[in-house]
Amino acid sequence: MVVDIDEKSLKQGVLGLVIAIVEVITDALKLQAMRRMEGGSLTEEEIERLGQALMDLDVAIEEIKQEQALIETVKSVRDGLDGIVDDVLDKMLNPQRWGEEAKQ
Amino acid sequence: MSLRIQENGKAEREPAVKTDVKEEGRYLYCIVEARERVSLGKIGIEGEEVYTLPHKDICAVVHNCLAQPYRSDDHELIEAWVINHQKVVDTAWERWGVVLPLSFDTIVKGETADSTEQNLKTWLEHEYQNLKMKMEKVRERAEYGVQVFWDLRLAAQDLTETSPEIKKLDEEIKTKPRGLAYMYRQKLENLVKKGLETKADECFKDFYFRIREHAHDVRVEKIKNTEPGWQMILNLSCLVHKDKCRELGEELESINQIKGFSVRFTGPWPPYSFVGSA
Repeated sequence: MVVDIDEKSLKQGVLGLVIAIVEVITDALKLQAMRRMEGGSLTEEEIERLGQALMDLDVAIEEIKQEQALIETVKSVRDGLDGIVDDVLDKMLNPQRWGEEAKQ
Repeated sequence: MSLRIQENGKAEREPAVKTDVKEEGRYLYCIVEARERVSLGKIGIEGEEVYTLPHKDICAVVHNCLAQPYRSDDHELIEAWVINHQKVVDTAWERWGVVLPLSFDTIVKGETADSTEQNLKTWLEHEYQNLKMKMEKVRERAEYGVQVFWDLRLAAQDLTETSPEIKKLDEEIKTKPRGLAYMYRQKLENLVKKGLETKADECFKDFYFRIREHAHDVRVEKIKNTEPGWQMILNLSCLVHKDKCRELGEELESINQIKGFSVRFTGPWPPYSFVGSA
């Protein structure tokens, strides 16, 4: 495999990767926030503050993506990650794939 | 700045192999039901002459090549090779009717032209029963691709209107302050997502069994999402008898008529998905 990288696309790539990771972390934060909210361990006021913070974070990430023209890059990183997770899960849930792979 | 990455230096070694070793090979396109050695003309990959090599009542459709795989870093070239491979299989299929396609880059090797041909015949002899069995399976039958998509926006809207839980939450959000509304909207989105998954699963089962009725065999393929707004909820390869193709078409048309659903029906193809090891 031959990969050609110029400086500009390298920067785009690194930035895209960083934003994609921030998005993944944000998603995890949201999930946690949701659990706590539904578990009833947060007051109404705390939920309001949490919601506002997460919303501001969403807006900030969206702005960076727009400004740096990173929408496509971030999407491709996330699709790539999804693909990897899909494959790993598929392999774990379907042991017959191990045999198929060994054959190859 | 420019970076060049080469995979284990493999790319550098390969050309050397190409010039030193001149082992014979036979590139295999498919196995057909025929008895004679005939030429199909120079329709093969890179314009090679394609011909049949008979063993009993079956033939391998091949061209002469070196005993090394077709490899390239040029994706367009590989695509052209694969399309060429499929065209040869199509031609053989039109001519002989019963065909077992092999995947791209299947090559039998030997030391000389004679021994290569002998190796291929030995393989045909060894696999004879198996190949004949598969031929019976695909006789008078063709492969069709069936994909069902739904309009994601319409499906979500439909769910919001019909689920009391989601409807209630949707109403509540309108009265909440900014931060709370955001959190509840996330919750709503999760509920809609789960609801859609359940619904998609139900649709899959319903459509699968309706399609299964008209097919001799069905393989469930991976879901691929390529069209924005439309989500694929079912992807099947179906082996269908030529007399049943119409029924299947009608069944699919009735699914296509359901509001918010769209069906893609492709084929007939040579039975690529039904000649594997299973």
